[in-house]
Amino acid sequence: MSDHEVEVLPPTPGARVGAFIKRKDVAQTFWLGVFFTAVFVVLGLWAYPKWMPVALTKQMQANKDIMIWFTVISAPIAGVVLAIAAKSFLNMHRGDTPPEEGVAIRTNTPAVIIWTATSVVFVIVAIAWGLVALNTDSAAATKDAPTALVVDVTGSQWAWSFYYPEQKIHSHVLNIPVNRPVTFNVVSDDVNHSFWPVQLGVKVDANRLVTTTVEADPTATGPIDVKCAELCGLYHAYMETSGEVQTPADFASWVSSVQATGGVQQ
Amino acid sequence: MTTLSHAPASSRPIPNPKKSLITKLNMGTGMVLGIIFCWGTYFAMKAGRDMTDSHNVNKVLLMSMLAWSLGFLIGIGALIGPFRWLIGKDLTDEEQLYLAGDGQGISRYFKYCTDHKVVGIQYLVGVMTLLGVGGTMAMMIRTNLATPGSHFVTPVVYNSLVGLHGITMIIAMIIVATGPFGNYIMPIMIGAADMAFPRLNALSWWVLFTAIPVLCSAWFLGGIPTGWTAYAPLSDQAGPGMNAFLATIIIFAISTAVAGMNITTTVVAMRAKGMKWNRVPIFVIGATISVALAIPAFPTFMLAMIQTALDRTIATGFYDASVGGSGWLYANLFWIMGHPEVYVILIPGVAALMEIAPVFVRKPLFSFNAAIAGFAGIAGLSVLVWAHHMYMSGWMPSLNGPFMVTTEFISVPTGLLFLVLIGTLWRGRPWMKLPMLSVYAFIWDFLIGGITGIYLSDVPADNYLHGSMYVTAHFHYTLMGAALTGAIGGLAYWFPKMTGRMLNERGGYISFWFVQIGFNVLFLGMFIAGAEGQPRRVADYAHLFAHANLISTIGAYSVGIGMLTLLWAIIHSWRSGKIAPMNPWGAKTLEWTVPYPVPLVNFDTPPVVTSDPYGYGRSAK
Repeated sequence: MSDHEVEVLPPTPGARVGAFIKRKDVAQTFWLGVFFTAVFVVLGLWAYPKWMPVALTKQMQANKDIMIWFTVISAPIAGVVLAIAAKSFLNMHRGDTPPEEGVAIRTNTPAVIIWTATSVVFVIVAIAWGLVALNTDSAAATKDAPTALVVDVTGSQWAWSFYYPEQKIHSHVLNIPVNRPVTFNVVSDDVNHSFWPVQLGVKVDANRLVTTTVEADPTATGPIDVKCAELCGLYHAYMETSGEVQTPADFASWVSSVQATGGVQQ
Repeated sequence: MTTLSHAPASSRPIPNPKKSLITKLNMGTGMVLGIIFCWGTYFAMKAGRDMTDSHNVNKVLLMSMLAWSLGFLIGIGALIGPFRWLIGKDLTDEEQLYLAGDGQGISRYFKYCTDHKVVGIQYLVGVMTLLGVGGTMAMMIRTNLATPGSHFVTPVVYNSLVGLHGITMIIAMIIVATGPFGNYIMPIMIGAADMAFPRLNALSWWVLFTAIPVLCSAWFLGGIPTGWTAYAPLSDQAGPGMNAFLATIIIFAISTAVAGMNITTTVVAMRAKGMKWNRVPIFVIGATISVALAIPAFPTFMLAMIQTALDRTIATGFYDASVGGSGWLYANLFWIMGHPEVYVILIPGVAALMEIAPVFVRKPLFSFNAAIAGFAGIAGLSVLVWAHHMYMSGWMPSLNGPFMVTTEFISVPTGLLFLVLIGTLWRGRPWMKLPMLSVYAFIWDFLIGGITGIYLSDVPADNYLHGSMYVTAHFHYTLMGAALTGAIGGLAYWFPKMTGRMLNERGGYISFWFVQIGFNVLFLGMFIAGAEGQPRRVADYAHLFAHANLISTIGAYSVGIGMLTLLWAIIHSWRSGKIAPMNPWGAKTLEWTVPYPVPLVNFDTPPVVTSDPYGYGRSAK
């Protein structure tokens, strides 16, 4: 294209859109966009379920759903951005002299409006999803509170310990029954820790002298890894224990076995 | 007043202010007096104190470190001007010329020099040093995590590496663009002769300089166990090395406050005739918004650290729950600084790339107004989002919803930054030089950093992700993938103006690909480890995470090779690179209208600006 060539745009908006979608560079960008969108959709639907642990609670399932579906929803936006970048990258000019002048597009009001409106809609969807999930959680917690199993969790440098007030047992492993809501009351003996039973998908800091609370709704049996998610000094990495979401019968027999040894798990 | 000549500073005779103390002071005298102050304070305070009490150790060490900084500044002559004012005088014209480095060669860089170009180079070398130190620590961290079992370092050393890597990189990244380019290039870009307050400019650099040995001293005092977040009560429990951390932040906050006021004032008051706000180059706008955001942020950081210091020295108990204090008070103060701070880091890097893209695509910047709305929207919202770092802390769970709303809305102005860049690229034929490559790397890296940020801002997902490696991967994508990539692009772009030579292209390309591919491998591995459930800041991990960590470490070594290549390219090009023409890129901003070496007062005649610098391209009807 020479510097003197001036583009003539069609007269009506409809005709302009028609001409726009027929342009070769627009079509190429579109197909690049489809490609990048597909990459992100695959990442969401395949990679996250593969990487993240099996969900043992409603909360963990909600986390996984967010990771998967936010990736899928954001895929077209990522696709547009990467397609335009890739199209221009493939059109590169090399050498020691600058390329010819490009098209002097200072702005494009419809493009700015469409872009901003799309991002606002996307954000509102994300916020609404998050608020609904958050609200479901706290409403369930309030409703379940009277029937919930209570576990008092204490973090200290560098171990977790659990006390079950209803069963009057102390333990260094975290066993809980399936299908019964559980409330964790968490406190620290010394510095900040963060109580993270990984497969339960919940987390709360253990603070000194202040008790914090978090609820979980176990829906499946399986092993739990308990970790510390807040740097707490020398052996932070080793401040972990394990446990299980058990069938009610297994849990009851574990409780009796601990009670039989004086209420302290050996 | 002495007439300032326009010849390069080093080619003229040295001004000779008679018997002035100023001519005898430099970095050496500063270090001597600093060391005297430091040890003097140490021995004076130690005498008669029970040094088995950790409170006393903390008092003595903290005051000795601050005394070093004060002694250095007196020794280098930083306080001569203020002292003259106290006695009703000022520096003579000859002394001012001498301070500006007039007629002096390389020695200017080791003095209290007020020339913004000298300060810019000092910052550049300082930033590269900090990045080198922080990067070496990153390599040690990744080496330790290459395989399960923590075979390389002990947990004490590992925790110190994590904390000192963090704070070193945070300091480096805060100054990485506004330091070198904000000082060297920005005044020329707006057609000014110097910064608004040249002596404060020198002060900001030398104050920062005094923080570096203090930070390094942490290693000799037992390290820090707290990470760079330095949460209480872990920081109360920490050993003597913690004092080095606290003193560093206190000194650094003074430097950023001084630099922030100086840059803001310069841009507001000293723009060339005709440079209306809609003609100001976008890098200048971005850098100004960034430092203006820093002005309220860093004093909060300083306050948080002073309270930690008081808890540690005289047991004030601000953060001690057993006497009525609260660790949440610390966490709030820290993140009220901490979240604006990430945008202080990010914005100048993005703005540099917005300056670069139009030049190499030969198109105007797409929607200047959207760019400003993006920066301003981010800056405005960034002060209202801090507690998203505390969703899981137990402090005010009822505020999680509101903080989630403000945090996610930051996606909208952030999206505008993408729109500006892809709009500029749209239908373009980019000239694929080194600076332009960074634009593409930025788009990829920041897209991933941005999208993963949306998961983290969502409270239910953060239930799982908070405190995991996923967070570490996310913020490295924004701070390193986006901000550092932007700064490296800026370096490749402005290197010819700052050194008079072109940056070696082959070295630059090799470095670029090693760094970018390595970076993505490194943090892809870390995303996987985080999604699998590995906490961050751990010296050791379960076998489940072994594959992801090995991938990360391989990526890290590739980044290391790339960064060393870049260092080689910079040193080689600076010494013997191809001589740069005045305007190698054909850009339209003012810094490309002055020769190298840039004259002492930048312009022979003050420039008059009649349009914005983005008038590229043929018209489309």
